[in-house]
Amino acid sequence: MNETTNQEKKTFWEKLLSIDRRIIFLFIAVAISVPLFFKTSLDMPVSPVVQEVYNAIEKLEAGSKVLVSFDYDPGSMPELQPMAESFFRHCFRNNLKVIIMGLWPQGPLQANIALDQVFKDEDIKAKNLQYGIDYVNLGFTAGNEVVIDRMGHDFRESYPADSRGTPLSEIPLMRGVRNYDNIDLILNLSAGYPGTMEWVQYAVDVFHVKLAAGNTAVQAPSMYPYIQTGQLAGVLGGMKGGAEYEIALKRPAKAVSYMFSQAIAHGVICLFIIIGNIAFFSLRKKKTS
Amino acid sequence: MKEKLVFGNKVLLIFFLLLLFLFLGINITFAQEAGEAKASVDSLAQAPAPPTNVVARDAPNDNGHALVVTWTLSPDDGAGKNNVVSYEILRSDNPDTGFVVKGVVALGISQYEDKGAKEKGDKNYLPSHKDFYYRVRARADGIFSESVVSAPAYAYGQWFHFGKSPIFIGSVIFTFFVVLFINMAKKGKELYVRPIAGIDAVDEAIGRATEMGRPILYIVGLGSAADLGTIASLTILNRVAKKVAEYQTPILVPCADPIVMTVAQESVKAGYYDAGRPDAYKEDSVWYITSMQFAYVSAVNGLMLRERTATNIYMGVFYAESLLLAETGNVAGSIQISGTDQVAQIPFFVAATDYTLIGEELYAASAYLGKEPLLLGAIKAQDWGKILIMISLVLGVLAASFHFDFFVKLFQVKM
Amino acid sequence: MSSEVIGIWIGAILTLGIFSFLYKDNPFYKFSEALFVGISAGYWFVVTFWQYFVPKFWDNLSLAYSELLTKGRVDYHWIYLVGGFFGVLMLLRLVPKIGWLSRWSLAFIVGTTAGLQFTRYLESNGILQVKGTIMPLDLTYPKPFIAHTGFIITDILGTIWCNLLNILYTYSHWVLVVGTFCGLIYFFFSKEHKGVFGGAARVGVWFLMITFGALFGYTVMSRMSLLIGRMDYLFGIWLGLY
Repeated sequence: MNETTNQEKKTFWEKLLSIDRRIIFLFIAVAISVPLFFKTSLDMPVSPVVQEVYNAIEKLEAGSKVLVSFDYDPGSMPELQPMAESFFRHCFRNNLKVIIMGLWPQGPLQANIALDQVFKDEDIKAKNLQYGIDYVNLGFTAGNEVVIDRMGHDFRESYPADSRGTPLSEIPLMRGVRNYDNIDLILNLSAGYPGTMEWVQYAVDVFHVKLAAGNTAVQAPSMYPYIQTGQLAGVLGGMKGGAEYEIALKRPAKAVSYMFSQAIAHGVICLFIIIGNIAFFSLRKKKTS
Repeated sequence: MKEKLVFGNKVLLIFFLLLLFLFLGINITFAQEAGEAKASVDSLAQAPAPPTNVVARDAPNDNGHALVVTWTLSPDDGAGKNNVVSYEILRSDNPDTGFVVKGVVALGISQYEDKGAKEKGDKNYLPSHKDFYYRVRARADGIFSESVVSAPAYAYGQWFHFGKSPIFIGSVIFTFFVVLFINMAKKGKELYVRPIAGIDAVDEAIGRATEMGRPILYIVGLGSAADLGTIASLTILNRVAKKVAEYQTPILVPCADPIVMTVAQESVKAGYYDAGRPDAYKEDSVWYITSMQFAYVSAVNGLMLRERTATNIYMGVFYAESLLLAETGNVAGSIQISGTDQVAQIPFFVAATDYTLIGEELYAASAYLGKEPLLLGAIKAQDWGKILIMISLVLGVLAASFHFDFFVKLFQVKM
Repeated sequence: MSSEVIGIWIGAILTLGIFSFLYKDNPFYKFSEALFVGISAGYWFVVTFWQYFVPKFWDNLSLAYSELLTKGRVDYHWIYLVGGFFGVLMLLRLVPKIGWLSRWSLAFIVGTTAGLQFTRYLESNGILQVKGTIMPLDLTYPKPFIAHTGFIITDILGTIWCNLLNILYTYSHWVLVVGTFCGLIYFFFSKEHKGVFGGAARVGVWFLMITFGALFGYTVMSRMSLLIGRMDYLFGIWLGLY
């Protein structure tokens, strides 16, 4: 009787460890897809690093100039696009002037997509924002960190004209802007290189301009040393950071709606990790005994 | 008669002198009052006391187009009947006229940096080597009082930025170590590098591929030719190519950067030459796929499964594709060795591959395998740099724990 | 049928094609992969030409040429010829006999990048990080905390958890300093990891592994986020189920 039971136990753990990975893929697919149908919003506290980003924008007076750098491509849209929309909502709500640029070729295009979405909001529509007066899109320019460095001396060295070809001298918003001395805050949305680290190295540490960032979850942990030293004001880490920012803004949107799927998926993964480790250690114990 | 006249003249002279002194005295007093307490028309009685001791000097550590103005706060700043709300800083190139407001600071602040533009055409142009004069105005509820004019000061640029001395000292020290150890290596001195786990596994993995008669896949990563991780990877590739040439095992090196591809071709070719098998080198074994990240991964994944590679070596700069590559390699049943300096990708390689070189171990491995004096010298210099950092940490933490803050200031970099 | 609808269908079909690889390699995946590789190569060619070559090389040289023709003066934009020259040297890699000339371009790229990044990394990632790590070490004992939730089990679990966090927070400076120090020892290559040194390196490895675990968790979140985006596209935008 005992021998049979032992064989069953052994077989069960071995089966578990050698389970076809496609079954795990299926579990994850279901864990992510099903919650999307329920549109449940999770209540979550705003973490200090996200609150610092919110405070950095909130402290600015009306008319202050914010430089938003779009350093990502459509591959990182699910994480960074909600943050971009929230940044725009926050800036326009507080009557800040927004200067858009990008160090990735697709970045400024992502900005236009975010603007189109934000301009559908009734409160933003009511402000009747004008291109060239309330916001401007400088577009993409090649050069990576060299662009950041040159802009510290003169924006015109990297951007003689905006994305529509209009010289900066003819754009009312850009007339008083020469370099970072005329910028009150930089917001960076980054998915890799060039990104937040380059902005810290070449803008913050050289020209002492204030910087807050939104990063993919992959990059976010690498930014914490910069927050600890004060080089970075705050960071939105991944979709959760974006969701917390939407909550701080009191405007739950896409990121918050995605968090239920995220939570369920994480729960399933944690369960599999626990089961897998129990199986692994049980088998190892049996082998040694 | 003469005596009377002389006497009379003396009296007249004294009288006129008295009148003159009185006149001058009144004017001097007036001027002082005008200088110290130039107040608004509304109510001289309610004007705040003016700031005093206005001093202008060149702004240090700059390009010569800024001046720093300091002053002693008005006695009415934060106290007194007529509280100061702000200070206005006025500048002119003439001590008497033409003063224009250049900046405003809040109460309690006794310093202002007057930063000008360096271009002549700019409306905020502040030329260097030209005298400027400053006055500071204490303002309180629509009325103000001004200080006396400061002594002239001119801006000039500095050749050396003393605020960034820690960077200069660090650069000098590190460069010294690099040059010293490279020279030592070139002279043939044995520079010890500890054994790194995963290096021996490369030989073992190549042997396994040879036994199975299946090719080896070597991925140099998605970095450019200027990235350190890519350079280290290419050195290791040279060593691997030499081994595969000896064992006559096919090697596949798909690249995501055309420049890296050219260097990888040279590296593999050199490996075959070193093994004495130049004829066995196939140019097609190193090729370019695409620079787009996930398109590259799709192609490599397909290649892994179709060619059933026995060994996959991932060395270099990787991003999000790391786990995609490693998991597909697991499905194909390949033995996998990885190494990257991208901190975010190391966990995936640790979890999904058999051996992982973590961060700087990749650079040390390339030095260990290549045995080039430049690489060995650089590794040694880095180690000495780490020693200095560790000593600084220990001393600094001890100093900070006993509230000696001077040590932290050694590492302060000013703008 | 509008172009937007066609685009959504193409996107959905290609998404499913790539996802089919999760089952096994198949012609549908191969087609999607080949299409992706081809389009990406073409896309990057176009981006490189219009966003890099034209604005940085062609437009600048055109400006310099027009300055020379109209005003008769030599403009500083002629310096972009140097970049163009190095670019041509790079292309000479395709000519085997004089391919060695491309090494000059590589040397320029590597040398410039190293020079540009040397002081920046030294300041931002070296000196300022050392400054941030130098902090006083606290030896005061944290105040014990007792949880009151109304249930004995949650009281006990809450008390243990909160006090652990409290200890970690109070001694966070110790954690930071010890972790940094031992991590540096692990990456010290001039001495073998034996004895006390080896013990400190082991502590460093533990810190590294905990860090990697946190990074792993964050990256898993990132991957799940991307998958959520794709699923939302398939169910919400393509199929319109919600």
